Amino acid sequence: MDFRLGEKELALKEEIRKFAKAELPPDLVRNTVIDGEFRDFEFEISMSRKLAQRGWLVMSWPEKYGGRSASLLEQTIYEMEIAYWGIPGAWMGISGIQWVGPCLMMFGTEEQRERYLPLIASGEKDGVWCTCYSEPNAGSDFANIRARAVRDGDDYIINGQKVWTSAAHRARWCWLAARTNPSAAKKHHGISIFIVDMKSPGITVNPILNYYGRHHFNEVFFDNVKVPASNLVGEENKGWYYLMQSLAFERRSIAPTTYGSLKRILEELAKYAGQTVYEGQLLSKNPMIRAKLANLAIDLEVLKMFAFQLAWRISQGQIPVYESSRNKIMGDDLMKQGAITGAEILGIYSQVDPDSVWAKLNGAIQGAYLGFPGQAIAAGTAEIEKSIIAQFRLGLPKSY
Amino acid sequence: MNFGFTEEQDMLRISARDFLAKECPKAKVREIAKDERGYDPQIWRSMAELGWMGLVFPEEYGGMGAGFMDLVILMEEMGRNILPGPFFSTIALCALPLLEHGSSEQKTKFLSQVAKGEAIWTFALAESSGKYEASEVKLHAVLKGTNYVLQGHKLFVTDAHVADYILAVGRTRESERPEDGIALFIVDARAPNVRMEAIPTIGGDRQFKVSFDKVVVPGDNILGKIGDGWNIVDFILQRAAVLKCAEMSGACQAVLDMTSSYARERIQFDRPIGSFQAIQHKLADMLIDVEAVQYLLYQAAWGISVGSPSPWQISAAKAKANEAYQRICIEAVAAHGAIGYTMDHDLGLYYRRVKAAQFAAGDTDLHREVIAVELGL
Repeated sequence: MDFRLGEKELALKEEIRKFAKAELPPDLVRNTVIDGEFRDFEFEISMSRKLAQRGWLVMSWPEKYGGRSASLLEQTIYEMEIAYWGIPGAWMGISGIQWVGPCLMMFGTEEQRERYLPLIASGEKDGVWCTCYSEPNAGSDFANIRARAVRDGDDYIINGQKVWTSAAHRARWCWLAARTNPSAAKKHHGISIFIVDMKSPGITVNPILNYYGRHHFNEVFFDNVKVPASNLVGEENKGWYYLMQSLAFERRSIAPTTYGSLKRILEELAKYAGQTVYEGQLLSKNPMIRAKLANLAIDLEVLKMFAFQLAWRISQGQIPVYESSRNKIMGDDLMKQGAITGAEILGIYSQVDPDSVWAKLNGAIQGAYLGFPGQAIAAGTAEIEKSIIAQFRLGLPKSY
Repeated sequence: MNFGFTEEQDMLRISARDFLAKECPKAKVREIAKDERGYDPQIWRSMAELGWMGLVFPEEYGGMGAGFMDLVILMEEMGRNILPGPFFSTIALCALPLLEHGSSEQKTKFLSQVAKGEAIWTFALAESSGKYEASEVKLHAVLKGTNYVLQGHKLFVTDAHVADYILAVGRTRESERPEDGIALFIVDARAPNVRMEAIPTIGGDRQFKVSFDKVVVPGDNILGKIGDGWNIVDFILQRAAVLKCAEMSGACQAVLDMTSSYARERIQFDRPIGSFQAIQHKLADMLIDVEAVQYLLYQAAWGISVGSPSPWQISAAKAKANEAYQRICIEAVAAHGAIGYTMDHDLGLYYRRVKAAQFAAGDTDLHREVIAVELGL
């Protein structure tokens, strides 16, 4: 065993720190959980471009697709630091960077890779993707997808409705799961993945505001949308397999980013507690607050180790079966713990609108508090993740 | 970064597991619980022959020259199997500080005995309050000629009744900083005026009140420098916390394994109870706890093994293990139902040991406080 970070990783941390100091307002604690992607699209994309120029945006991809073949450990460090400093623009709608790119490298054609990967790597608006998986009747029961793709000569014709589609209002491309074989014996077996141009005629994007009025996700309607057959990813009807892989990529990234943003929140809370007097005593002297912040710190250590362990396993060429689910549960639980502990420390100020001048710590705590229930649902609920662990790690029978 | 064990470490784990399964099955654990000595001298001898006692000692003291991580692996297996006896007190609490802070005469004399399985040691720190704080150390040590005379008592001293030596933390002078004026005395446990009174525990391990009534300790039998004792206590508590964590980690894994196999086999409503999400999610939570303990343990142990122990990492590991071990046992009994609440079932053996493990080498409050201080609070 060896838990040392190499010189490369340490240097990367330092570079990102310098970048954040140079490019962002000083001491800005940002919380992207509630803001979602692209609240200020032009600013975010300007930052994406800068991250791309540094070779960071898709650092673990090969050079020929715009990356620099960085190790997964480096990427994990990068994700932790980006979240720690709250650097915007790192996700580009998240889909493209985190799973469309990696899935195309595994299952796409060379033509698809050459066309789409450099676009994502550029950090430009044309590299923003969304993912259309969920439907009104396909939430946790995800294989229940009804959107249809019917072959018509050199094209597929898509009809159907998607929902909870993050960043669809900003995306140039869509990674779509649709049913190609409605009579397959098992519903998992008739699904395919397509690349869809969001400018195609027949696509309608309607905003769905979250409970805090922020525009993060959408519903997307496909009305006889024509997609070239060359935009099919991998083999027809094998989509379930690609989709599971994409979810594993998505769930992997949650631990490093949650770790980074909570590490910052923990440090800011400790600072705040050391400067704030309540009932004649510094908050930092209150034994309850000391214990709660210590607990948060301890669980953050766990999340960090989980994030590194998963990156290490993948880098050994092993295919993780349950670790992404474990990390997703731990990250979500911790975001909740951080938000609630933080709100307790802010006391009556925890109710202040995060954008208000009255907000403490730049509204980061309220952002986490408002955001954590949503983050916990995205990419698989805790209930689904726990069932995955029970079945694939502990060998228990299928429960649904 | 590397999360893997070496081939030798895997072999050590497997051979320890096999040995303990064969020599110390649960029937044996129960038998030892009824034996007044609290350990099996025959198993103790075999362990010495296998080189376990001197695992991390250099060869000159009869050791194997292995690393701290190897000791962690060994103790995980001891915890998994519940090996009763004075290994933890002898090795973790006493031999490691002897190795680090002992004079060469002390090392030659004492460590060689330990390696051969010929000496049992224990550590006496806590007094009336049971807290591991310097201000609580009151055992008087008065210099008379070249000897020290000890007066006072210690509580919760494990395996004192079978110990040959007691490493006792005493106060040589009052001082403004409670950490000053503390020394560690190597006391012959069978010396006259060393009296023991059993403190029966729910874990069935052997703990004692040890009274020192004008006990004479030769000046040579001080570990480290006079007055420097609290630094050595810190050293002991850090290593012991990690090694206790290792035992707890092994125990957690055993309880999870037991419970998931029960959930696969136990039929109710015509199907295995493991097919119910209420049970599945309990087990998934247990698994996350188990792995949390493991990785925090390995991180802290690795720091020690490369010579840079981190109080933050050590305390995170022990605080986590304290909470997780308890939670895992409670959930495991719940998943088993009534059978898990019986004397005949092995689960109780693990649950009953939770309290002793939590308080060994620092309770949750103590370790949380270390973290709070590190956070700048």
